[in-house]
Amino acid sequence: MHKQSSKWRFTFVLIASCIGFTLIAFVLIAYLHLPKRGLPYHDSFTTGKADEWEAFGGTWTVDDGGMRNDSDERGAKLMAGSPYWNNYLLEADIKLLGEDGDAGLVIRASDEEQGVDSYSGYYAGLRTRDNALTLGHANHGWLEYRSTPMPQGVQAFRWYHLKLLAFQCQIIASATSSVNANNNSTVAINEPNCLKSGRIGLRSYSAGGLWRNVQARAATETDLHAMLAGLSPQQLSNESASAENEMAMFGSGSLPSHLNPQQTPPVADIKPISSLRLVSSSHRVVSTVRGVVSLTSPALYVQDSTGGIAVKTSSTPPLKVGDEVQVTGAVIPGAFSSTLQDATIQLLWARTPVQPVSVTASQAATGSFAATFIEVEGYLRSREHIAPNILALNLEAGQQSFRALVNEGRGDLAFRILKPNSLLRLRGVCVVDPEFTHSLTPFVLLMRSTDDVQIVAGPPWWNTRHLVAIGFALLVLIFISHFIYSKIEQWRLRAIFDERELLAHEMHDTLAQSFAGLGFQLQAIRNRMPDDMPAVHQQLDLACDLVRHSHEEARRNIAMLRTEALERIELVHMLECCAQKMLEGGQVETEVSQTGDGRSVPMRIHDTLFRIGQEALANSVRHAMPTRIRISARYTEDSVELEIEDDGTGYDKHTEQKGFGIKGMRRRAAAISGVLEITSAPGTGTRVHVTAPLPMRLTFRTWPSYLSKLWRRIPGLQSNGQTREETYSYLNRR
Amino acid sequence: MGKPEKKPIRILIVDDHPVVQAGLSSMLATQGEVEVIGSASSGEEALALVRQDMPDILLLDLRMPGMNGIDTLNALKEMKASARVIILTSFETDENIYRAVQAGAQGYLLKDTSQRQMLEAIETVHMGRRYIPNPIAARLAERMLRSNLTARESEILEMLAKGLTNKQIGTALSISENTVRNHVNSIMEKLEVSDRTEAVAVAIQQGIIQIRD
Repeated sequence: MHKQSSKWRFTFVLIASCIGFTLIAFVLIAYLHLPKRGLPYHDSFTTGKADEWEAFGGTWTVDDGGMRNDSDERGAKLMAGSPYWNNYLLEADIKLLGEDGDAGLVIRASDEEQGVDSYSGYYAGLRTRDNALTLGHANHGWLEYRSTPMPQGVQAFRWYHLKLLAFQCQIIASATSSVNANNNSTVAINEPNCLKSGRIGLRSYSAGGLWRNVQARAATETDLHAMLAGLSPQQLSNESASAENEMAMFGSGSLPSHLNPQQTPPVADIKPISSLRLVSSSHRVVSTVRGVVSLTSPALYVQDSTGGIAVKTSSTPPLKVGDEVQVTGAVIPGAFSSTLQDATIQLLWARTPVQPVSVTASQAATGSFAATFIEVEGYLRSREHIAPNILALNLEAGQQSFRALVNEGRGDLAFRILKPNSLLRLRGVCVVDPEFTHSLTPFVLLMRSTDDVQIVAGPPWWNTRHLVAIGFALLVLIFISHFIYSKIEQWRLRAIFDERELLAHEMHDTLAQSFAGLGFQLQAIRNRMPDDMPAVHQQLDLACDLVRHSHEEARRNIAMLRTEALERIELVHMLECCAQKMLEGGQVETEVSQTGDGRSVPMRIHDTLFRIGQEALANSVRHAMPTRIRISARYTEDSVELEIEDDGTGYDKHTEQKGFGIKGMRRRAAAISGVLEITSAPGTGTRVHVTAPLPMRLTFRTWPSYLSKLWRRIPGLQSNGQTREETYSYLNRR
Repeated sequence: MGKPEKKPIRILIVDDHPVVQAGLSSMLATQGEVEVIGSASSGEEALALVRQDMPDILLLDLRMPGMNGIDTLNALKEMKASARVIILTSFETDENIYRAVQAGAQGYLLKDTSQRQMLEAIETVHMGRRYIPNPIAARLAERMLRSNLTARESEILEMLAKGLTNKQIGTALSISENTVRNHVNSIMEKLEVSDRTEAVAVAIQQGIIQIRD
């Protein structure tokens, strides 16, 4: 009954904890899916932190309390927030960093990838091409819904405040110039099957951009109406997006840049960059090159299809990576690349940034790729801040070591993520100028932003700290398992002792009592026998003796079973006590000796040896009339020996039959796979020697021999097979 | 054999085991000098019969359900019964012998005792003397010398006498030093001494331990 209830209780606890865990999991999942978790949001660009943002293209850096993208890349995105945000308002101050392109905000975005319109979401941006505020839906393709002109146009390098709201299926955007509040515009759509939720993002196209005060908060219907009030009446019709509306199926602001008539390139003697290397240093040569900006900070680099060149100038126009420029300056030839000094730079138009050349570190070290935008792989050996916000990575590839410098831009996230000994793929301008290398490494890689670092493979797991931790964990595990093992062993022993105690009681109540009763009964019969039947008398005497002997043995067994368990006394001392009891204080000297530690001998073997010893002592005391008895035990790693020796009369094995005693001893020895040897001859005393093997034990000292024994047992599988066969045939016979 | 005018010794057998009861009655019934006046299978029954039949000798088993041998002995003592008691048992642990003798048993026999010895014991006890066979007497003496020390405690006491520290004893017996200290405290309490040295002195004096070598 009790067992049953405890079993029920166990099941109950199990079910309850299952339900509990499921509930907790549900609550956790529900919390993570909460559409308002993390709202309201405000950026922390002013403190230099931007860990929550994730870049898809572009060169994003925190600069002057804002987020800056210097790249002319088409459709560079920086995403943040929760994919479960649904109704919210996103606003930010935005400045365009180029004349040709657009920049703005993304809401309800998901499935972001690197690429022009590679995301699902709504985008609203300010465009310089048609001086308009545009709103559309990107779904790995661009669907522009509306664009309304800004009354006074859209100018680069001016701040605008942009708001983008999504409430149910109403998407509305508004833009206001920071200098002129009248220069504002609002655009709204109502899409029947709208995207329901998604992240927020910053996005620019062709022109770079600067964003600050990025904030998002949950939106209500009131917010929606407040913004709708800014719409002009004809726009307020609230009609859904349809084919009648201005709809374009091309990329946002995707007019090819070279059609931009803004500037006509001045005609000059334009030279390929690689040709400047051949200029002699004897006299000053002024040259003009045309190329794409590959790096703006910490130095300006321009690259054309033949190679790259460093440009030094006193007045830099606001340039972005990817701008096509025409540079005129004095050529300073270098060992591997030249420099244009005192250069004048003319911005021609925006183009896509150059693609890197993939090279190995040793190729880069030759100098052939000096001033060129390259991609190279290497193992990170160490990292350090060499100046505030400048992160230096020391790398190694094969025999080649090199250094990479990057403006950390968005907080120290990169420093934390990049772990020593990981394999990195880096993009940057290869510089061999001693100004950067300090002649320590053959080249230095100047990277545009931390997004130019890609982790190919993390550090290997087997570093010292991990190994120490694993070792420690293993040690703790071993300790715990040893503790549990010894506890279980203790319980097992306790259970065995309880069982033995029970058995002893049982034997006492039945066997011993019956023997006693039978003995008395036999005695009674013998008493009543007429004296003239000597044969019957003799037989009855024998029967009485047998019963008494059996009773004595039963009593001994009971005593044996009761042996005080956990505090076991040494075998030899038990036998000595036993001998002294038998001798009843007679004039026989007992001598006891022991070598080795007998504490680990299994109880069964211990008991059996005790019985054999007892029998040997009994024989000796009853029949041999000794003056000395020697009891000795020897314990080794894998066996135990017991020897009982007396100096009594001895006997002749061939002529005398000792009856049950010796047979019993042999039977007992055989039960523990032991060998019993009795040496005796009339007049020389008797020596009883028994050797029993000990089972293998796994201890700290014995494990090598334990393993070798285990190994030797494996070929024995065959004999096991035979045993099984025998069992089968036995079963068949039955 | 016996003189005719001598009255037979009246005996009450107290044993819960029917085989023993029957056997013992049969055997004693064949002997002229004793008379089995009845048998009881529990302590309670025995006390009632003692009150009613006034036996001379009780052959009392120790282990019985309900009131055991020792309880019965104590009850008899309280009753101030004239009957003398011989313990007849299968037990021969030191503690049983000690407690039985303390409770007032005049004899102590094992159930495999021969008829001759049993009659001798009955006569001896009936004459007012104690009858305790040699091996049992030896164990009783040992037990009394040991006062109340357990096997482990006397082992530790011997080690103390050899001058071992608690730590050494702990190592030798593979038990913790704390356990040794507990044992030593218990030894000092039982021997009514205040320190280890005194404990060893008293133990040697009383013969609880022997100094070897």
